[in-house]
Amino acid sequence: MRKDHDLRELLKGYGFLAPVCALLLAFVFLPVAGTLLDSLHRDVTFLPRRFIGLGNYRSLSSDPGFWQSLRFTGLFTLVSVPLELALGLAFALLLEHPTSARGFLRAGVLLPWAIPAAVSGRVFELIYNVQYGLANALVTGIGLSEGPVHWLGTSAGAFLALVAADAWKTTPFVAILLLAGLSAIPEDLYRQAEVDRAGPLQRFFRVTLPLLRPVLVVALLFRTIDSLRVFDLVFVLTGGGPGGSTTSLSLYGYRFFVGGDFGYGSAVSVVLFLLAFMLSLLYLRASRFGREIA
Amino acid sequence: MRIRILLLVAVLLPGAARDAQPAGLRPPVKTLTFAVGGAPSELDYWEELLREFTTRTGIRVELLRQPTDTSLRRQTLSVALLARERDPDVFLMDVAWLAQFAASGWLAPLDPYLGRDGCSGRDAFFPRILELADTWKGRTVALPLYVDGGILYYRTDLLRKYGIPGPPATWEQLKEAALKVQRGERRDRPGFYGFVWQGAQYEGLVCDFLEFGGADGGVETVGGQMIVDTPGNRKALGFMADLIHKYGISPPNTYTDMREEEARAFFQEGNALFERNWPYAWSLHQAPGSRVKGVTGAAPLPAFEPGRGTACLGGWHVGLSRYGDATAEGARLIGFLTSREVQKKLALRLGWNSGRKDIYDDPEVAERLPYYKELRAVIERARPRPMVPYYSQVSEILQRHLNAALAGKSSPGEALAAAQREIRDVLSRYD
Repeated sequence: MRKDHDLRELLKGYGFLAPVCALLLAFVFLPVAGTLLDSLHRDVTFLPRRFIGLGNYRSLSSDPGFWQSLRFTGLFTLVSVPLELALGLAFALLLEHPTSARGFLRAGVLLPWAIPAAVSGRVFELIYNVQYGLANALVTGIGLSEGPVHWLGTSAGAFLALVAADAWKTTPFVAILLLAGLSAIPEDLYRQAEVDRAGPLQRFFRVTLPLLRPVLVVALLFRTIDSLRVFDLVFVLTGGGPGGSTTSLSLYGYRFFVGGDFGYGSAVSVVLFLLAFMLSLLYLRASRFGREIA
Repeated sequence: MRIRILLLVAVLLPGAARDAQPAGLRPPVKTLTFAVGGAPSELDYWEELLREFTTRTGIRVELLRQPTDTSLRRQTLSVALLARERDPDVFLMDVAWLAQFAASGWLAPLDPYLGRDGCSGRDAFFPRILELADTWKGRTVALPLYVDGGILYYRTDLLRKYGIPGPPATWEQLKEAALKVQRGERRDRPGFYGFVWQGAQYEGLVCDFLEFGGADGGVETVGGQMIVDTPGNRKALGFMADLIHKYGISPPNTYTDMREEEARAFFQEGNALFERNWPYAWSLHQAPGSRVKGVTGAAPLPAFEPGRGTACLGGWHVGLSRYGDATAEGARLIGFLTSREVQKKLALRLGWNSGRKDIYDDPEVAERLPYYKELRAVIERARPRPMVPYYSQVSEILQRHLNAALAGKSSPGEALAAAQREIRDVLSRYD
């Protein structure tokens, strides 16, 4: 009798899980497996499909365009994510501070995040424009530069312009996430620390930061994956130029999909997927994420 | 892959919904599907044309509205054809991806329909374009609906003001004229430049590059290999970079921002003497509110030697799906769209440059569109980009390296040599 009951409970449990599993299977595992399979084929619309093993990956390894985009994507993630986390944390701490305008400020900070990246890319394109851009009006106006600066004209300039635009857009996301984490830290701990004569810096490093860590890891994870996949901002702001120096991996792969070479494009996607997947695993491990949640 | 699946779903869903209808509810007449993109006003005009076709033939046509963006139009078509969808039956293709569509076996040969049932024969169209762009393995797979070629726009008032007799025949003349006028005009207009063209990292850059080289440049296919690193091409790319950095007659953001619309706006604001653009810019330059209205001229592009200039062939071609369920009806629609009557209407209403020769002799067209006369010579000399199925991959490499040379990151020689190596690797993947 009791066993029957357990079985029913068990079935009920799996029943509840089934829709999620089906969705994951249909929209995550199958596409990933399909892409993986495609990447092992010469899958070109104008030639017969043929299994070529790791042939696409071998071609990738000697493709300067691929290495250039891998370098850009890695560097972009490495620079933009820490910057966004630091700025986001600063904003979160400021917004935590009780003022009468807190609600208004919190909503205001979220605005850039609510604007689609394609739109903010266009806006930044106008800001950086040589002839009539705001950035040039500023630097020439305050005398920092005599003539107009061609912001997007060099690889380094275009790179920094992208980082700035990305930080502007995604810092609010980090800030809101961390703000939620901050408000979950009990007031008592701070009061106790004050009783123990801990200064503001000590309170921040001994209380705030350790208790914020799980949320920080989540923010780091989201931002890393997102910035590895960066597409829309680059597509609109620089188009991958100058000279391909700001072509992200997803933009590089996308061009092969448009050109009808699904096998090669898939290989680029798989590399990107593995990169994101391994970094995520690394983060979760390093932060002992699972244990803390439990 | 993700995009592909999403598109698949988007394309398949409406199809599935239609299949779910009980057989009795299906319209008794076959419905033809025609996919075309463009501005809303253009699409409205297509609706009007299709209604006329239905009134005349009794064949119902459904318009599948596509986006304006060329690569999105390509994607939606590719996905439908890859899935062997029965719709669309008839669609427009950019000449840059016609070869990929043909080589993928997605296009039904049009030869059985040509010259019959109101469909014009091959001789109605520009023979070179038909031969180079619309013929695949000896079969006619498409017909030119809209042909395009780069032209040189110039300011008639400024040439007169500085005593320059006419539009330049050589790049050297263009450079001299641009330097002279730019020096003079900058006194009142500090943002004035001699020459604007398309230098951003995108497809348009490849077109401009091929035109700078003219008949002495271009991409040659020799024994299955594509040759881009030639003296003619090095000279062309060197000149393009010099226009920006050495002579300073093209704006510094040429290689970052300048696409068709940016160059058009720049010229239209009265900030440039010369502009390379497609013929579509003509009517916009002459529209009310344009600062260059009435003072803009158009001429064939110069070359390094007089008479060696060429234009890059652009434009849209109409094709018939191999998987469509209304092939014969589709062929009639193609016959209708390429007829003298409809082509004339498209020229007058949308400013489209016909692929038919006889439109250029039409007195009404000549009167309403004065630049049409010049255009005929440009189109007859236009050269298509390499008509190979993997052109997109070649173009991606060229765009990257040409743009690097314009940015001063590499010399023209280094850029073309590197492009040559990468193109060879791409070709080896498609043996």
